[in-house]
Amino acid sequence: MDPIELRLPHTLQRPQATSNHEPITHSTEPIVTGTSVVAFKYKDGIMMAADCLGSYGRMAMFRNERRLMAVGKTTLLGMSGDISDYQHMQHTLENIMTQEYDMDDGQRLGTKSIYKCISKIMYNRRSKMNPLWNSYVIAGVDSGEKVLGYVDLIGTTYESPTIATGYGSHMAQPILRKVVEGREDEITEEEAVKIIEDCMRVLYYRDARAFNKLTRAKVTAQGVEITEPYSLETNWDFAESIVGYGA
Amino acid sequence: MSSLLSHEIGYSAPIEVHNHGFSPYVNNEGTSLGICGEDFVLVASDTRQSNGGYSINARRSPKAFELSNRTVIATTGCAADAKQLVEDMEQRAQYYVHKHGREMSTPAMAQVLSQLLYTRRFFPYYVFPIFAGLDAKGKGAVYNYDAIGNIECVSHYAYGSAAALLQPFLDNQINKAHQRGADTTAKPSRAQAVKLAIDAFTSATERDIYTGDWLEIFIVDSEGVHKLTRELKHD
Amino acid sequence: MSIMEYCGAAIVAMVGKDCVAIASDKRLGQQQLTVDMEFQKVFPITERTYIGLSGLATDVKTLHDRLRMRVNLYKHREERVIEPKTFTHLLSHMLYERRFGSYFISPVVAGLDKNNRPYICALDTIGCIDSSSDFVVCGTAATNLYGACESLWEPDLGPEELFETISQTLLSSIDRDAMSGWGAVVHIITPSGVITRDLKSRMD
Repeated sequence: MDPIELRLPHTLQRPQATSNHEPITHSTEPIVTGTSVVAFKYKDGIMMAADCLGSYGRMAMFRNERRLMAVGKTTLLGMSGDISDYQHMQHTLENIMTQEYDMDDGQRLGTKSIYKCISKIMYNRRSKMNPLWNSYVIAGVDSGEKVLGYVDLIGTTYESPTIATGYGSHMAQPILRKVVEGREDEITEEEAVKIIEDCMRVLYYRDARAFNKLTRAKVTAQGVEITEPYSLETNWDFAESIVGYGA
Repeated sequence: MSSLLSHEIGYSAPIEVHNHGFSPYVNNEGTSLGICGEDFVLVASDTRQSNGGYSINARRSPKAFELSNRTVIATTGCAADAKQLVEDMEQRAQYYVHKHGREMSTPAMAQVLSQLLYTRRFFPYYVFPIFAGLDAKGKGAVYNYDAIGNIECVSHYAYGSAAALLQPFLDNQINKAHQRGADTTAKPSRAQAVKLAIDAFTSATERDIYTGDWLEIFIVDSEGVHKLTRELKHD
Repeated sequence: MSIMEYCGAAIVAMVGKDCVAIASDKRLGQQQLTVDMEFQKVFPITERTYIGLSGLATDVKTLHDRLRMRVNLYKHREERVIEPKTFTHLLSHMLYERRFGSYFISPVVAGLDKNNRPYICALDTIGCIDSSSDFVVCGTAATNLYGACESLWEPDLGPEELFETISQTLLSSIDRDAMSGWGAVVHIITPSGVITRDLKSRMD
């Protein structure tokens, strides 16, 4: 089994038992949020990207959030939605991966298993009317097969060669369907980087909750690689010609 | 004052506050149909999954599944609930095999599905299943359900966003309703059933935005379950 | 419940080879209560142009009366019979006049023009024309009719084939709609005249 970075919660103490007079509360809306995640299949695996902004409503509050993570060695996870719920999910997944490590049976959780696990967590939380306010994109190469799946706060799941969450489903997904669909096994890594950067640039131009500092990741049979945050070249010359609502 | 009162009573249960703004359901739409033949059944579903609005989540997200060697289930409604329900059914079928050393009969499985739906009577699965298989005599049987487990055995049925488009056509072509001199008891042959399913879905795809992309057809006969796939329009 | 679904109706028009057909059910209801089984919803406008009016029954009568007046005025002023397409635009304007307080009617027009070319179209409550080269539908059974038409209709049907197709379509559709049914009527408009037939159907 591979070495695993363990980040346990600062305190394992349970919160003080709440008074009987207080109601049990559940989240009714996300608080600090991350916007779109974009991902698609290419020749060697899956390419994914998300920016580094944690928005507090309309405010660009946290500008160094990492929304892509590796789960184990061969699975990549991308998140949009509430960041505290995401951190809760991170802890849960770390616990699960630790338990699996402790089994010491030479088995490791593949992408499909992790996908199912996250799906069940999400569906069970929605069934308690206490959802984790996230959309997750799960990617990996499982027994030689490329897996790219989605799960949201209701527990809705689907697998598709191209996935984009949030605003990305309106702005990036049409680009991806046009460029990627049917060519999943042809696109080189170089082209994939260009495609995903085009998508992220479009989102940065038009999504008010997007940010020009992003992380990109790929997952192949060799494992997960996540870049350090970087920025894209942008060109705002066109802005001068925009009058009123015209594009 | 109220706290004093609470102390006197000694216990008051926490009040469960249900949050507003969160709906646990989404209608991922799509269409399913079942046709019953003499010695076979046919179940067909499109594979488009929508997000409840104008977006297509996935073009190939199947909602019809093989449950055993002689039964299939087709769903419509909330995809998350449907997945849970189908997994429950698979589990119950598997458990029966381990316990009794043989597969559950089709009517028994139909009843299990009804009961599973009813377990969630007050927080229903938003799923409208069509369940089909061969009975003990090898005859075809199609069952349809409402979301809380009401069950009916029918000759043919359509559920989902294009149900209203398909059902009159199937009534006309299978029950031969209004066709003077036609044999209204005759069941369709296998070739006829496949043709009807493809025709019905091709038509539904023209008028219903939630139906399209691919059609999966399952045919169950004495040899087992056979699967066909046809392309529908992607628009 | 929508006022458009208060009375219940199923109306369909189809194009054939040098002929058109228009058919409707005969039910008049007040929501689930049936009050008339011989309610006329399809009306002759000229000898070869028919209109089907689905929606609120009082507006069906009012609109039919007003249309009859306008078509008669047209005949007197122009000294010729109105064409189906011209009539459709007349109707469209009449509906749009009431843009912000519309008749609760969605009409279907079917006819043959002076060159015996089939013309069919449907309009919405405020007069948007939706012309078609195959079939048009309206009423509470519209979805059912769309499904049946889409599967059963084919091009270049002769008058008798067209009669069979439109009858099967309508009868199958009204059997799956609680708000329409109780008998039906079919008009086949051909260059040599109109064939009108009443259909029996389930009375439930």
